Amino acid sequence: MAMMTDTAPTSGHDTQGRGSHFLLHLIVALVLLALGGGYALTEILEFGKVQFNTNNAGIHWGMAIVTYDYFLLTSTGLAMVASLWHVFGMAEFAPIARRALWLAMAGLVGGVAVLFLELGAPLTALWATPLNMQFASPLFWKVLLVGAYAISLAIVLFGMINKPDAGRNPLMILVGGLALAVTLVAGLVYGMMAMRPVWFGGEIPVVFLIESFVGALAFTMFFSHLKNGFNHSNMRPDTRALFEGTLARMFAIAIALHFILHAGRAITGLWSNAEGMQVWGYMTAQPLFHIALWGCVALPFVLMVLPGTRSNGMMQIVAAALVMIGLLISRYEFIIGGQMVPMFKGTWAPELLSYSPSTGEWALLVLAVGLANTVYAFGAWKLGAEDRA
Amino acid sequence: MPKWGMVIDLETCTGCQACTTACAMENNRLPGENWQDVLFYSEGEYPNLNLSWLPRPCMQCENPSCVSVCPTKATYKDEGTGIVLVDWNKCIGCKYCMVACPYGVRFYMDEAPAVEPDVRAEFPASGRRSWNPPFKMPDEYEDASKGIGIQPKGVVSKCTFCYHKVSQAPAGVADLDEDNPETKEFTPACVRVCAPKSRFFGDLDNPDSHVNALIAEKGGVRLKEETGNKPQVYYLSGGGSPAVPGNRSRRS
Repeated sequence: MAMMTDTAPTSGHDTQGRGSHFLLHLIVALVLLALGGGYALTEILEFGKVQFNTNNAGIHWGMAIVTYDYFLLTSTGLAMVASLWHVFGMAEFAPIARRALWLAMAGLVGGVAVLFLELGAPLTALWATPLNMQFASPLFWKVLLVGAYAISLAIVLFGMINKPDAGRNPLMILVGGLALAVTLVAGLVYGMMAMRPVWFGGEIPVVFLIESFVGALAFTMFFSHLKNGFNHSNMRPDTRALFEGTLARMFAIAIALHFILHAGRAITGLWSNAEGMQVWGYMTAQPLFHIALWGCVALPFVLMVLPGTRSNGMMQIVAAALVMIGLLISRYEFIIGGQMVPMFKGTWAPELLSYSPSTGEWALLVLAVGLANTVYAFGAWKLGAEDRA
Repeated sequence: MPKWGMVIDLETCTGCQACTTACAMENNRLPGENWQDVLFYSEGEYPNLNLSWLPRPCMQCENPSCVSVCPTKATYKDEGTGIVLVDWNKCIGCKYCMVACPYGVRFYMDEAPAVEPDVRAEFPASGRRSWNPPFKMPDEYEDASKGIGIQPKGVVSKCTFCYHKVSQAPAGVADLDEDNPETKEFTPACVRVCAPKSRFFGDLDNPDSHVNALIAEKGGVRLKEETGNKPQVYYLSGGGSPAVPGNRSRRS
């Protein structure tokens, strides 16, 4: 059976060209993996994690956790996007469902790999977490749910390998449900922390859900255009209709919700006199906050709201890339910002704590990007990840 | 079974850090990463400034958030003593307990040294131990399942209320007092060395204990009551609440 993709049908020469496109993607991903993973592993093996810029003064979770959560939530969001077709039967999303699922697995692998390098005793985690049944800990549930999500996602993908006409998969109800649960529990990990005012609140799981979904739409959009060589006209008519219609509008709405929640939390934080909330004053005074809010949320929203730019392929790529970067910044500010108020450190830590990732911690991000792209590109090259569902 | 608790009298504490030093020696702490510390707070600008201090061990909370968040039950509350301990055999180094502790009293081993040079490099160890301190406690005291001994790599540690001493105290004793020859050896190191005798250690469940009398008579209070953690460490401050400046007021 001829491979069907969401690229407009053309000659056999083009099909061969797509194969080399995925191979090139794989080579680039492997280079990133070798660079990031090589540096990070060398540093960890030679010096341990003392080279990381986390500390006992209060910044306990640094760039590694930022990277892990970023990739994990992107993954769960992508599974939810795929569920639009598989679970809810929204046929418009059928052309992107398979890609979204492979990207979900890619993101999951990249994120979890970084988590394992960050944990002090990752092998102990494999048995100690499921066997000790600490029901009160959101992290216990998160580990269990991520495990179940990974297994069910792998089963779905295994069943899809080189089967272009797989159709809707009822197991996706489980995958989508677990993706939703992982996202919400990931929010609870932070939202339950009453001693950390920047994090505390019942709205955090909802914030994570929106961020997960908007990120997934951005990744879907970006990688769909990447698949088509960043050439809008290469798309099949039904895929192009989705990108110029429902998907772009959905993306705009999701960005708007993300903006409302992001700005709303910042305004609330600036207004509040509660101890610990002074972090918002610090964060909003930093350029990074405004780059994320205005450059990576407001601007993409404008691009996706205006009819002229919403249906423009290049503008979609720009909007998607900006949202992808903005979400990483937002995740960084959220996780680090929540820890900036030192807890009972006195003059040993007299001000808000400062943190910037070390080279090794940046290398973990490169590792995650490289590993995730390796999984996706290999899937596209050899396992039919870009076959039409 | 006792529920051990501590009372710290802020009116007599001189901030001498003898408790900090004794704890570090007793429990093989890395320099600068003190399970027990005396925190100093400066407020204002010269000539209108104030220097205050707060001795701060682990609060050994009745309802500890660190225990609730630990995904592996590595952090647990010992039923026999009411002390919060860490099982290093189960700890995965996720640091969630550190994030969730309102009092900042937990320490991860794999961090950059708080004080240079890095003594872990100066006194390297083999096996699970992260370093080989020249002043380490006797090997027979070490118990990884209770977080006692030389902290291994990749795990979190905290004050144990000197569990290795306290747990050996005679049954039914109401207070562990360094001035009492019968309980001296079972008294936590920080209490035992306190020169102005600002620290008292006893059974909070025993109505006859001296610590209960102090809490009742001098209005003992606990830090950050709003978190609901219910510390088993009480502060005496002459009737008022502990004079602990907030984070904002620290910025002088």
